[in-house]
Formats: sequence, C-alpha cells, structure tokens
Amino acid sequence: MKRETFGWSFFVTVCLVIFMSVPVWGRTIKIGVIGPMNFVQGKGHWNGAVMAAEEINARGGVQVGNEKMKIELVKADSNEFLNVTDATNAMERLMTQDKVDFVVGGFRTEAVLAMQDIAMDYKKIFIGCGAASKILCDKVGENYNRYKYWFRGTPFNEYYLVATSFAHLGVAGAAIKNELNVPVKCAIVAEKATWAEGMVKAAEGTIPKMGFELSGIWRPSPVATDVTAELSAIQKSGANLIFTIFSSSVGITFARQAGELKIPAVQVGINVEAQKDGFWEATKGMGNYVFTMNTYIRGVEYNEMTKPFVEDYYKRFGEVPTYTADTHTAILQGLVPSIEAVGSLDSDKIVAHMENREYLVPSGKVKYLKDAQGRPTHELAWGPGYLTSLGGQWQDGKFVGVWPNKWKASPTAPEVTYKGMVPLKLPPWMKK
Amino acid sequence: MVAAGLYLKRFYTVVRGEVLVLPSRIIVALFFLVLLGMPLISQNPYLIRVIVLASIFAILAASWDLLSGFTGQMNFGHALFFGVGAYASAMLNVHLHIPPWGSVPLGAAAAVMTGLIVGIPCLRLKHTYLALTTMAFPIILMGIVFALPDLTGGELGISGLQRISNSLIVNYYIYIGIMLVLCTIMWKITDSHTGIIFHAIREDELAVKASGINTTRYKLMAFCLSGFFAGIAGGLYAHYMRIAGPSTLEVSMSFMVVIWAVFGGIATIYGPIAAVFILFPLLEFVRFWPEYRTLIFAVVVLLILLYMPEGLIPWVRDKIEKECPRCKIRNVATRKTCRVCTAVLD
Repeated sequence: MKRETFGWSFFVTVCLVIFMSVPVWGRTIKIGVIGPMNFVQGKGHWNGAVMAAEEINARGGVQVGNEKMKIELVKADSNEFLNVTDATNAMERLMTQDKVDFVVGGFRTEAVLAMQDIAMDYKKIFIGCGAASKILCDKVGENYNRYKYWFRGTPFNEYYLVATSFAHLGVAGAAIKNELNVPVKCAIVAEKATWAEGMVKAAEGTIPKMGFELSGIWRPSPVATDVTAELSAIQKSGANLIFTIFSSSVGITFARQAGELKIPAVQVGINVEAQKDGFWEATKGMGNYVFTMNTYIRGVEYNEMTKPFVEDYYKRFGEVPTYTADTHTAILQGLVPSIEAVGSLDSDKIVAHMENREYLVPSGKVKYLKDAQGRPTHELAWGPGYLTSLGGQWQDGKFVGVWPNKWKASPTAPEVTYKGMVPLKLPPWMKK
Repeated sequence: MVAAGLYLKRFYTVVRGEVLVLPSRIIVALFFLVLLGMPLISQNPYLIRVIVLASIFAILAASWDLLSGFTGQMNFGHALFFGVGAYASAMLNVHLHIPPWGSVPLGAAAAVMTGLIVGIPCLRLKHTYLALTTMAFPIILMGIVFALPDLTGGELGISGLQRISNSLIVNYYIYIGIMLVLCTIMWKITDSHTGIIFHAIREDELAVKASGINTTRYKLMAFCLSGFFAGIAGGLYAHYMRIAGPSTLEVSMSFMVVIWAVFGGIATIYGPIAAVFILFPLLEFVRFWPEYRTLIFAVVVLLILLYMPEGLIPWVRDKIEKECPRCKIRNVATRKTCRVCTAVLD
C-alpha cells in the first residue's frame, strides 16, 4: 500500500513538473541570437537580446493580431572567429532545427556573408549586429527580392566609420591649433592588420586635405609588447596628433608607453581596448587623454532612451554595453513594433513596414537608406539627427564623452551636441 | 531477363565472396549504402548540410593522407590547395561566369599547378623543415589575397557563387557521389604500382632511388595528385558555401586536416575519411554545450591518440580482423585458420 502511495505521489509530481514547465502562453516568437558566444562580441549580442526579451515579456509579450506572444530566444554559437563553416552550420540549425522566426547577430563579415545567404534561402529576417562591411547591404539593392530580409542593425557601414574618425581628428586638430597655436602634424599609427589597410590609405589622402601635415605612418604588430621605437620616431617627426587604428592588445601597449614617455601628442582614432572599462587599470593610468570612437559612454545621452538602457545594462552585467549589444535595439525598437503594426509574423509584410520606418533607438535615430537608383539597401543613415556614434576620452580615470560637441557635419548642417559632453583635453605635457 | 538474372547472380557471388567475408568491407559497404540511402530516411536540411560538408572535408583529409601519409611528404599547409581550389573556382564563376561544372575542375587544375610550384622547392627538404616550409605557403597566398582585393575580395572574400544545384537532394547526391568516387580513386591509387612507390619513398627514399626509380618525379606527382583532390574539395566547398574567403587558407584549416588524418589513421585513406565522418558531426552534436565544444573535441582526440596511437580505424580493424602470417590475407578475428591458405591464425 505504501509503495502504491509513493508511486501515485511520484506520478502526480512528474505531471505537475511537466505542467509547470510548459509555458502558460500559446505560441512564442522565436528569435535566434547568433554570434561568437565565447568572445566579448557574442556576449554583447546575447546580453542585449536577453534584456530586450525580458522587457517585452514583462509587459505581456508582443501583440500579433489578436494574439499576445512572448519572445523566446535561441542562443547559437557561431564560433565565426575560428571557423566559418561552424557559423553556417549554426545558422542552418537555427533555421531548420530551432525553426526561429527571426535572427539577430553576426560579426565577422566573411561568416555573415555566408550566414546571410542561408537566412535569405529561408526568407527569414536577419538583422546584422556587428559586421560593418557595405557589401552586405549592397546585395539588398542589387537583388532586392532575395536579400530584402537582411537589415543592418549596428554599426553603420565602414565608410561612415572612417568619416566619423576624421571628424574626431578635426576636433583634436582644431584644439591643437587654438590652444597651442602651432600647425598640426599628424602621425598615422595603425596595427598591421588587413582591416586597417583601407583606413590607412584613406587617412593618407584625407589628412593633408584637412590642412594637417602628415609626419609619417607606423605599423606595429597587433600584439606588440614594446612600441618605444615607434614612439621615439613619432616624437622625432614632430607629430602633435596621432591617428590610432587599433583593435588588438597593442592599443594598451601604445597608450601606456606613450603616457610613460609623455609623448607630446594627443591620440585620436579607434582604439578598441580603450573602449573597455578595464583600460585605465590595464595602462596603469598612463592611458590618460586617449580619445577613441565608441557607441555608448556612461553619462552621455543621445536621447531620452540612452540613459535607461545604458544604466540598466550596467546594473545587470557590470559593464557599459558594446555596440553588439544593440541586438536589444534590433529586437525592441526594430522588429517588435513592426510585428505589432502588421499584426503578423510574415517576413514580407514586416520587411515592407520596417524599411520605411524612422525610429528612435538608444544610440540615435534609425532610418534605412536607398541607393543612388532609389533601391532600398537597408543601410543605416549616418549623420546629424541619425546615428553618429560618440568620441570618448579618458580623463583622470573616467571615460567621458567629448564628441559630438557643437559638431557641424557641413557648414549648413545643424549643430550637434549630446547631453553629457565635456570639452576635449590635450595632455598637459603638450603645452610645455 | 536471363542476362539480368546472370548479372545479379554474379553480383551476389562477388558480394558474398569479397565483401561479406570481412567486417571492414561490410562496414564500408554499409557506409556507401547509408550515405546513398540517407535522403530516403530523412531530408532534414541540417543533417544533409552536415553530411555534405563532411564529404567535402573527407576528400580534403584523404588527399592529405595521399601526400603526407603515403609518400611521407609532411605537409602542414594543406589549406593552400584547398584555398587555391576555392578561390580559383570562385573567381572563374563570379568574374568569368563559368558554371560550377567548369569552375570546379579548373580550380582543381589551378591547385595542381600550385602543387607543382610548391613541390619543386620542397623536393630538397625533409621532415620538420618540409613541414615548416609548407606551412608558410598558405600564409603567403593569404598575403596575396589581401594585396589584390579587387580580384580576390580581400578579407571579405568572393561571395555570390552559383550553387551546383538548387535542389537539396540533387546537391546531396552530387557531393556524396563525387566524394565516394574521388575517395575510391585515391584508395585505388595507393593500392596501385604508383601507390607502392609512394609508400616505398616514405619508408626509404634512398633504397627507392637505388632501385632506379625517379623519386623526384613521384614526389612531384604526389604533390600534384594531392593538390588536385584538395582543389576539387576547395571548389566544391566554395560553391556549397557560396563564398571563398581567407578562412579557407587559415592555419587552423591546415591543422584540422592533420588532426582528422592522425585521428583516423595515417596511410590508410579510409582512416581520415572515417575520422571526418566521426569528428565533424561530433562537433555539431555537442552544440548543446557550447562553452565546452572545443574542449570536448580536444579531449576525444587526445584520448584516441593516447590509447590508439596508430589511429582509431586501424585499431578497430585490428580488433575485428586478423592478418594471416603466411599469405597476408585478412580474416575475420573469430576465424582459427586463414580463409585462403588455411594456415593457423593464432
């Protein structure tokens, strides 16, 4: 008898567990989040998507016609830095095994190009949140019927990234001219990596046009642990502005040694290591006055949506969001309002709605562009009033926003200043 | 009708006398049957994708075995042939609009030329020096790829290649068919007069030279043959992925080929093929534990190499079959006497 009672209790418990684990709501909207999950970029993808899903589900889900649907995220490790084949398998799995409705993520262009084709085969909307190559959106213009399901979520394309860097150079050059009253001599220091080649070429052509003298080009190894030779040569060249193009650990080495040697020049450009919260400790405070492009900076607000997002993210994950965390934006401000507006999960209807929208996101305003022939490219608009990114500078242990601060993209363009901006500071040892 | 019956009877006799007598041959026959019959059981695109990619990498791994396993020319830069095949096919298809049936063989021809170009300077090198030199070639080619972005697409690669077929099942049978045919050809080469010379070069090159054989010619032939098969694999990969990018030339690709071959068993041809069909799906299977995927993969490879230093497949084969000490014919392990010469097996 006792045995029978135990058997029944066990059966009832199992039934209860099964019943409780089945969601109380009906169908869910499945969103695949694909990225290199063992790397900081993939973690950003996942964290951003988790925040968006929780926010939507907390308010009851997405209104799809007459039905309320919750968001269900499916994590897919693309491993794309190490293996492109792996990335395509992960995408195929999302499409056919997990049967997701939409996909966000991707980082390495070569992998994203291959994944893009798979998503397009299944006519699933894929919002890219990492790769900056223009070619991804060019395909939409060239073959709209096939590639219309691709949208750029973040960042804006490589050409705009370069344009932003030059705007930063212009700000620093103007500060040197105004405060020191000396001509600007600019050195280009780019890590020896393929992605930097185009930027070096563009900088070589543009710097003289900006009225600066080009004092030389230096190409240290991306993983160099000593750059004193380059720094001595830069100092000898008389450069007072250094255009940095770093994505690897050399960014720390260069900033630290330049600070230790008190090289009389301000570093401006892209230094991915300087975008991280641990940069100050990594350079032992020697990275002071390093200026780099970034998407989010604590205390800087593009609009009223920025602060809640950045602070919530910081509270939840203990760090400032990187741009790949804009999966949050892609889901919350991109996909969901369009799903609700068309009242369906039909990709074609959502595409038609999404490509014509203009909407605010925590990093500015999204508008999808058309090419010269008027064909939609699903490329993000860059410039005043839209997406611009930020220029941040390390000032006495704090990463602060310094650009755009009374920035005018052209003489007739409106002036742009975001809330929380502070003036750019030149290293004090430049003034001696 | 009578002729058909006679053919069937003859086929049955051959199968009974040649295939069913050895477990390894039964396994190979089952492998062929399972691969060819897979779409009848499941047409899951993900499963089909994994099998197709495994087939492409099986050709690549077997081609490495032909050069390094059989001829002893240790190549640590096999991605070079794969990358040349992929890029050449991609350029021909995208820039010159040559369809895949033309671009893949021409890509393989480019890989053969590369084999010749690489083989000549490598003839004077042996062992570690050869391995290190071959490792440098894909890196050099990657430099060229980045230096000519208008032609090669630079770091983005060449995308938008035409598919071999738009039908999932037709595509599957084309890739599987090519793999089975090419791997059988490679196996037949190693079993031929040329294969024996390849083997002999690996064992004692001086003795082969002393026998009046032009080893230079045979070593170059091994480079070209290996390049041809790897080039085909590269071309097929590019058309399947619809992109040929720098990842095809990465050092990790070269090392993966070596891992497959060593795992399966060097100098066997079937060993690397089996290894790809075990390890590639295994990596997919452990996706449920993404943080530890690579670790699990590494542990499996290490354990196999620790306990089966000759590779997994030769170990399994030695467990299920015995070689006759007199006539060298293989027999099922349960037999007490040889099936041909009746010599005692134990």
